[in-house]
Amino acid sequence: MDFQLSDDHRMLQDSLRGILTRHTGEALWPALVEAGVPAALLTEAEGGFDGSGAAVALIFEEMGRAGVALPLIPTMIAAAAFAQAGQPADEGASHAFADAEPGARYDRGVAISADGDCLTGRKTMVAGAEDAAAFLVTTADAMWRVEAGAAGLALRPYPMLDGQRGADLTLEGTPALRLGSLTDFAVPLARGVLAHSAYALGCITASVELTLDYLRTRKQFGQPLIAFQALAHRAADLAVEVEQARSAVVNLASHLDDEAPLRDRHLQACKVTVGRVARLVAEEAVQLHGGIGMTEEYALAGHVRRLLAADTAMGDADWHLDRFARGEPAWS
Amino acid sequence: MDMRFSPDELAFRDQVRAFLQDELDPGLARKVRLHQHLTKAEMEGWHEKLNARGWLAGNWPLEFGGAGWSAIQRHIFEEESARAHAPRVVPFGIAMLGPVLQKFGSPDQQDHWLPRILNGDDWWCQGYSEPGAGSDLAGLRCRAERQGDHYVVNGQKTWTTLGQHANMIFCLVRTSTEGKKQEGISFLLIDMTTPGVTVRPIVLLDGTAEVNEVFFDDVKVPVENLVGEENQGWTYAKYLLTHERTNIAGVGFATAALDNLRRIAGAQIHRGRPLAEDPLFASEIAAVEIELMAMSTTNLRMLSAAAQGQAPGIESSMLKIKGTQIRQRLDALTRRAYGGWAMALPVPGNEDPEDADEVLSATATWLNNRKLSIYGGSNEIQRGIIAGALAKG
Ligand SMILES: Cc1cc2nc3c(=O)[nH]c(=O)nc-3n(C[C@H](O)[C@H](O)[C@H](O)COP(=O)(O)OP(=O)(O)OC[C@H]3O[C@@H](n4cnc5c(N)ncnc54)[C@H](O)[C@@H]3O)c2cc1C
Repeated sequence: MDFQLSDDHRMLQDSLRGILTRHTGEALWPALVEAGVPAALLTEAEGGFDGSGAAVALIFEEMGRAGVALPLIPTMIAAAAFAQAGQPADEGASHAFADAEPGARYDRGVAISADGDCLTGRKTMVAGAEDAAAFLVTTADAMWRVEAGAAGLALRPYPMLDGQRGADLTLEGTPALRLGSLTDFAVPLARGVLAHSAYALGCITASVELTLDYLRTRKQFGQPLIAFQALAHRAADLAVEVEQARSAVVNLASHLDDEAPLRDRHLQACKVTVGRVARLVAEEAVQLHGGIGMTEEYALAGHVRRLLAADTAMGDADWHLDRFARGEPAWS
Repeated sequence: MDMRFSPDELAFRDQVRAFLQDELDPGLARKVRLHQHLTKAEMEGWHEKLNARGWLAGNWPLEFGGAGWSAIQRHIFEEESARAHAPRVVPFGIAMLGPVLQKFGSPDQQDHWLPRILNGDDWWCQGYSEPGAGSDLAGLRCRAERQGDHYVVNGQKTWTTLGQHANMIFCLVRTSTEGKKQEGISFLLIDMTTPGVTVRPIVLLDGTAEVNEVFFDDVKVPVENLVGEENQGWTYAKYLLTHERTNIAGVGFATAALDNLRRIAGAQIHRGRPLAEDPLFASEIAAVEIELMAMSTTNLRMLSAAAQGQAPGIESSMLKIKGTQIRQRLDALTRRAYGGWAMALPVPGNEDPEDADEVLSATATWLNNRKLSIYGGSNEIQRGIIAGALAKG
């Protein structure tokens, strides 16, 4: 048993950290592509060179720590799904995953339906929609590909909670290519959940570190806040929960390629654990900071919003808990 | 024991309901329900309507132009207003400064400032907290030096709620550095249009700027703006805090939030059915509702003890903790009720998703209401107060 990173992964981590400190904004995406980060998220069969759970987890934890707001997760899911369905790869392009529907929480096919090879209806909270070369779109039980600029497709863009830009999609008899059933793509989807969870883990660790630093330096009543046992115990509880979240991510990363029932249980357990810890950390980090924790100017603000978003993405803790308890698969 | 309202109290409740029915504009109520920030004019407009009815200052005695309500009447008014999504009465002049001036102000100060509060001539804000003095308020450093018939004020206040609308600020300032830190504090009324006052907005998690930093650079304040005696400000501040903490339980706000959550859970689809029918989610809603049922009665028990003249002690701390826990839980459930739809950033007046203003509002409310457990004496400070009293036995 060995929980250490492999040499390759350690190198990947180092180069990623370097890129994340050197590049921001518009320059970041090309730098990541050049360093092969999107390709590291895909298997050889999918046109990449790694695609292991460990690689996905380590890449997105770094992204979460740095608070990167790029449509890397939808691009990864879509690229893997397209490759699996035999579509040619489109290197360097970004894609979007249109899954959520207004008013439907995590149900699919409530606001959208298929008629032959055309889709009609609405999707919402589609990250990276404006720049997407193609969309991976879900309906009640199927997965579709829709090209950007397809007939009858309209976008209504807006800023998202995690700092990305997203959009509502309206489709009116929009031509689409059916790629298969939802369950056919359980592996790319599981990788997406792992990515969101690892990203949340990065936000969780960064938020807890900020909080601990603040408790050690902020003084009230002539003492650093950490000297108040009531606060120190809250910090200790957070530290315990961070380890739980990390282990849940490790569990999913290690079972990504296992048989569906086992992988799905770990997927659900991961989303439940990380989602709950994310919520707790979002609340506690702000509270333990006091007023400063509520300000936009302070580094915590973005993390808090990203924590909420990471729990919400691809089924929140409530939704996966329900399915876990019922013994249902992750997708159906 | 009789838990029912008396016939008089019931009649009063009907009057309040009728007033809200007649006077509250549905558009304004919708903004309040969605937790959207009101304009200055909207807040002033509501004050005007209440003042015309003689209800703006329910907590003030009749002799000062108040409504002279009992604690139970105030509770009824606040609960009914919150359930109808009426704007809340801006607390700084009415709930905070008014009672201090009535108890410690000079007759001249009372004659001058109190009518102006009722008429909306002044907008007050509260200048207590400083960057270095939050929970440890007595550690405040903003200095006021007596020079002839003026004080000269230098320093900074922060977290000043709605300071951007204010022309007046009541401040705790340091007038002495000798003795205990509580003993060198004075209570000063400062005109914010005086040269040397600068107000800078602080943007919060939800993207809005309801709080501010206020800087004082050699600001001249006439000595007649000192309330009570020099270096006695801490006593007045503590008196004010007991008033700040009435309606601390926020039963009406919680009830309104629960109604809202139930409505949303009835409309969102989960596994093909309304979310409200999902046993897991329904039991979470039920658990908060049960907490709220008990807390409403705790609140009434404590109100009626206060009405019978028992001095308020740790009760308000208990209500603050439980009340804010319940409201924050409701906010979290409301956000969760929307599931995958609740991922957009609430930015007022910006690009937004279709039909989603209530979804955005759920997220904005979650973000903004983190303040409930921080301000007005944080929940940790309240636990300290309770624990301190329990330890004494
Ligand atoms: C939205 C908002 C509006 C506000 N409006 C106003 C206003 O209008 N006017 C005004 O004067 N102030 C206002 N405040 C300030 C508010 O009163 C302070 O934020 C509050 O007193 C906490 O102080 P702090 O933020 O400096 O946090 P700190 O005091 O630094 O506290 C940080 C953390 O440590 C905890 N803590 C501190 N001391 C102890 C202790 N001894 N034991 C255990 N835990 C402890 C706190 O509970 C908190 O969790 C507002 C604040 C907010 C967030």
